[in-house]
Amino acid sequence: MSRVESKTMIQIIAGQFMEHRLGLLGAIVVVLFIVTALCAPVISKLSGHDPEAQNIYGRNLPPFSRVTLSQDAKEEALEKVLDANPVLVKKIIATFNKHKIITGGEDELFELLHTITPDQINQISNIDQEEAAKFRQIVGSFSKTHLLGTDELGRDLLIRLIYGTRVSIGIGIVVALAAMFIGLIIGSIAGYYGGVVDIVLSRIIDSLLSLPLLPLMIVLAAVDLKNIPFLHSLISGDNESIVKLFIILVLFSWMKVARLARGSILSIREHEFILAAKTLGAKDITIIITHIIPNIVAPLIVAISLNIGESILNEAALSFLGLGIQPPTPSWGNILFNALETINQNPILAIAPGILILLAVVSFNFIGDGLQDAIDPKAIKR
Amino acid sequence: MSNYIIRRLIQAFFVLIILSYLCFSILSLMPGDPVDVMITSNPKITKEDITRLKKLYGLDKPNYVRYFNWLTSALSGDLGYSRVYKIKVEKLLGERLINTFILSVCSLVMAVTIGIAIGVYAGMKKGSKFDYIVNFISYGLISMPSFWLAIVLIMIFSIWIPILPAGGTRTVGDNSIVGLTSILDRIRYLILPALSLASLQLGIFVRYARSAMIEALGNDYIRTAKAKGLGPSRILWNHAFRNALIPLITVVTLSLSGIFSGAIITETVFSYQGVGKLVYDSIIGNDFNVAMVSFMISVAMILTMNLLADILYGVVDPRISYK
Amino acid sequence: MSKIISVWLVGFMLLFVNQGLCAKKLSNKQLTIGISQEFENLNPLVKQMSATSYIYSLVGRSLVGMDADGKTSHQLAVTTPTLENSMAKFDGKGKNRTLKVDWEIKKNASWGDGKPVTGHDYKFTWKVAMTDTISISSRDAYENILDIVVNKANPKKFSIIYKSPKWNFNRRFAFYALPKHLEEAIYKKYKSKPGAYEKNSMYVSKPTHPGLYNGPYVINEVKLGSHVVVTQNKHFYGKAPKIKKIVLKLIPNTNTLEANLRSGNIDMISSLGLSFDQALALDKKVKKTDMGFDVKFKQSLTYEHIDLQLKNKILQDIQVRKALSIGIDKKGLVDALFEGKQYVAHHSFAPIDPWYTDNSKVVVKYKYSRRSAKKMLDKAGWKLSADGFRYKNGQKLAFTIMTTSGNKVRELVQVYLKDQWKKIGVDVQIKNEPARILFGETFRKSKYKAMIMYAWTSLPEESPKTTFHSEFIPTKSNSFTGNNSMNWKNKKVDAILEELDGEFDQNKRIKLAHQIINFYTDEIPVIPLYFRADVSVVPKKLSGYRLTGHSQLSTNHVENWSVE
Repeated sequence: MSRVESKTMIQIIAGQFMEHRLGLLGAIVVVLFIVTALCAPVISKLSGHDPEAQNIYGRNLPPFSRVTLSQDAKEEALEKVLDANPVLVKKIIATFNKHKIITGGEDELFELLHTITPDQINQISNIDQEEAAKFRQIVGSFSKTHLLGTDELGRDLLIRLIYGTRVSIGIGIVVALAAMFIGLIIGSIAGYYGGVVDIVLSRIIDSLLSLPLLPLMIVLAAVDLKNIPFLHSLISGDNESIVKLFIILVLFSWMKVARLARGSILSIREHEFILAAKTLGAKDITIIITHIIPNIVAPLIVAISLNIGESILNEAALSFLGLGIQPPTPSWGNILFNALETINQNPILAIAPGILILLAVVSFNFIGDGLQDAIDPKAIKR
Repeated sequence: MSNYIIRRLIQAFFVLIILSYLCFSILSLMPGDPVDVMITSNPKITKEDITRLKKLYGLDKPNYVRYFNWLTSALSGDLGYSRVYKIKVEKLLGERLINTFILSVCSLVMAVTIGIAIGVYAGMKKGSKFDYIVNFISYGLISMPSFWLAIVLIMIFSIWIPILPAGGTRTVGDNSIVGLTSILDRIRYLILPALSLASLQLGIFVRYARSAMIEALGNDYIRTAKAKGLGPSRILWNHAFRNALIPLITVVTLSLSGIFSGAIITETVFSYQGVGKLVYDSIIGNDFNVAMVSFMISVAMILTMNLLADILYGVVDPRISYK
Repeated sequence: MSKIISVWLVGFMLLFVNQGLCAKKLSNKQLTIGISQEFENLNPLVKQMSATSYIYSLVGRSLVGMDADGKTSHQLAVTTPTLENSMAKFDGKGKNRTLKVDWEIKKNASWGDGKPVTGHDYKFTWKVAMTDTISISSRDAYENILDIVVNKANPKKFSIIYKSPKWNFNRRFAFYALPKHLEEAIYKKYKSKPGAYEKNSMYVSKPTHPGLYNGPYVINEVKLGSHVVVTQNKHFYGKAPKIKKIVLKLIPNTNTLEANLRSGNIDMISSLGLSFDQALALDKKVKKTDMGFDVKFKQSLTYEHIDLQLKNKILQDIQVRKALSIGIDKKGLVDALFEGKQYVAHHSFAPIDPWYTDNSKVVVKYKYSRRSAKKMLDKAGWKLSADGFRYKNGQKLAFTIMTTSGNKVRELVQVYLKDQWKKIGVDVQIKNEPARILFGETFRKSKYKAMIMYAWTSLPEESPKTTFHSEFIPTKSNSFTGNNSMNWKNKKVDAILEELDGEFDQNKRIKLAHQIINFYTDEIPVIPLYFRADVSVVPKKLSGYRLTGHSQLSTNHVENWSVE
């Protein structure tokens, strides 16, 4: 007899999954997306781009454009430095007054930003003093490169896409998890208790599945959720549209999980080990959690990963109809939506978020497929 | 069999009634009735105007009364008027239903013929490079936002290489277009929307056809057939393909039920005169009667298609019988 | 497999053979116009949508109209009745004073089926409008009429007698007649059933009947939600239009609309078409590469502004309102976002309105200065905190701003303003709703918390009474009528507005209007933003086309258009 190395179930599944090339590819892409999403503030800081920083004088620019900041942004940048260092201000003003670059106080220093000429810059660089160097540095930081160009308000497209990853993938994951939770509870109740409970719940699930999804979402997106009392406290001005979108998406995505849970439980319910647990006096809830759910974990994970992709698509579709996340919070869907009008002039604005959506959804689908193959007992190669 | 169908039909009817109340309530949840909208578009409206108009539209009655009024008149064949266009709902729907039907059938035919052909072929050559590429592309098609594809198609085929119209249903105002040319004209307008609508289904069909084929080819009777010395094409078509057909029929029938939902975005982008666009417009414009009727039609479609899928399943697969 | 491929190939080839049909040269034979807004049936009495007005002006005319220069033009009427030419006369005194206005319709003015347009048509229209079962939205223009008397000897002459005379009696731009000879029988049959007349009128059942229209064109084909085809009206009173046939295509998606223009499916885009941002981009493209189009811009009376909710405790402080106005760079907004093609507004009257003034003695102006806005807020007790926002007694200086969702330009402006206010320490949150809900509920019932951004359009010299008068603050007791959603109460303004309607002297009216402007800009219940420009894309070969900028749209002068 040859020795067979024993493996745990998880190890087997993981091994199977690693062999599924597309699934692995999907997993890598998803991890990349999640890392980028988590690092968004760091990227923002390192690159010096802010997703909400506008420059209305540099709108709809093509990729690799180098732009000078707007006057307001210049003023703000200068102000930041000056507020932090009032001594330096006085020094700069004194030096500049001495060299006759300006004749007044603080206000004129700000004015200088607007009117500065190459001559004056030369003049300043001739001053061999620390203050002048500092001022030059501030002025020098006024121009930035936009790798993917800018959007309709002159905001950096790349950093907005990165922040959009947070919202889009975040919504996808949270919605899928919430839907799983609800679906699991309702499906377990229906499957475990059977009888009238099962009939009623199954009818509800069937009815919801037979409703036309998108039109209903459009209707619900138009309803003001603040009128529903228990939601009132959840929603504040800042996140209202996100919470609303989340609720709508969850409302229509738990049914498939519920069906799955119900079906599996129906078949497991009659097994001896459940009967044994029952006779030993275990509570219903304990039986469901400790005995039944572990048995359906595998198909559940597949359902979640497919659900995430679907939610990302739905978010984009609702945003496309103008019912998604409110500006200025960026999401792939609303970046794409905002770009539509000028798509003929600046196509990258619409193409880039579209490709990201495609990439993310495809990756989640690959993962789902890979997992499905991996946990399929027929396909297990030993 | 017929007993089973009758029972399912009766069931479906009650589900339809319950869902219609649900839809009615959800639609009534939306704030702002047509009179409210009228008021803001016209600053000169007076208090008397408002009471007069509310009474005229029956908006002063409670929700369930309005529902029963709607239901009784709908059951007696009166679907009401569109508040936006001020014409009868039937008149508005008639041609659009046909348009949507044409669009869906075209896209379905496209998706089914291409999808199944490619899927079956890929299933036969499982593991080959072709299979790999097909798998990859079909996933891409499933995961693509349909409106985005629609826009990209417009950009490519109407602007960069202007060979197809960017939107619409047919060329209007040209009397020289009759007979065959008018059919060709319609087809020219159909290609892009049908293509973008078909792409999603295409992906699904390829995947189903492929996996059904792989499963069918793995069955014992194929081995038996091979052992009997049957030619490869006979094995393929008479044995494997026929068995692969069973799950495919269900998928195709079920995909028909999602026509309205699926067509909303496509028809909106291409301004194609169909029901999908009407559904969206009527919800956004609070055109109550139109929204209700189109909702009910799409729910009814889904229920019938589910039933049809079940029946077809029985017809194709002799192992299943209904009692 | 190969069979399937060949079937598809043959199919595609057939289509490209067919493609030659599509390319047509633009000529006076046919003009195809694209619009992006929905239209309804063309009954002029119950129509509400601007797109319907746009189309209706192709086929129907009023007594008088207003041209692109803001001057009154005679349409069906021979001349404009005035007090000076004695065609309008007062009768009685005080409250019972009435005004009799004589109109005469052009001799050759007739409906498309050859029947003359007469005073009877107008009397009939008035009667229909005043019937309770008709869902006409506002009867304001008809309620004031005491009677219409048609001259027995010459039915082309008729007099309208008004109850409480207003100065604008002769500006009946939207008084469109219904053809009595066609509609009266239907009206009589259905008038007792609510809503039945307009559903059975010939405009619904047989919209292509030429007798329904008296304009330069008649309807040849109409499909709601899709397109309208109009052809020349042989019985038009004026000069025959040069363009034989006009096709109007509804393409709601503005992006697809533009694609249609570029691929030659439509020849031009009406003023109810592109969004402003899109027009700007297209304008640049058109100037760079010769595409045979011009993008036309025309300053309009459409007034974009932010209503401030005066029930809001923080906004009740006028210093805060002033600081908010000073803290935004309207000039920068207009220059950068609209490339100077729309105009900064200081108050609600547009520069093309005779009531407009720029006199700094009348208008209180708020020059952009971030620093003084900050100082102002400091003085009002709102102190800057470490998070960059201002607080007073623990309360944050925060507002919500609402507008119609899906309106890209407004959302753009909104985000721009949010950014500017953030820099003076004011936290502004965006909360948008679809137009139907925003206007139908939030605005109408004045339910918004702080700011609402929207626009209204008007004609020159239109009284802002329903927006500024305190009686028009929407409340439950007046069933939420009136557009004074900011809850602005100023007794003096109320009095001036009441005086304005009955003032027949133009110069005195201007003085009264200036007084209103003074109060309006000093108390700032509203932050004026900018006046929109109308945009449309027209082929270079089209001459005689002019954008109007007001609610009498360009199609009122369609007979001047021609392709050269």
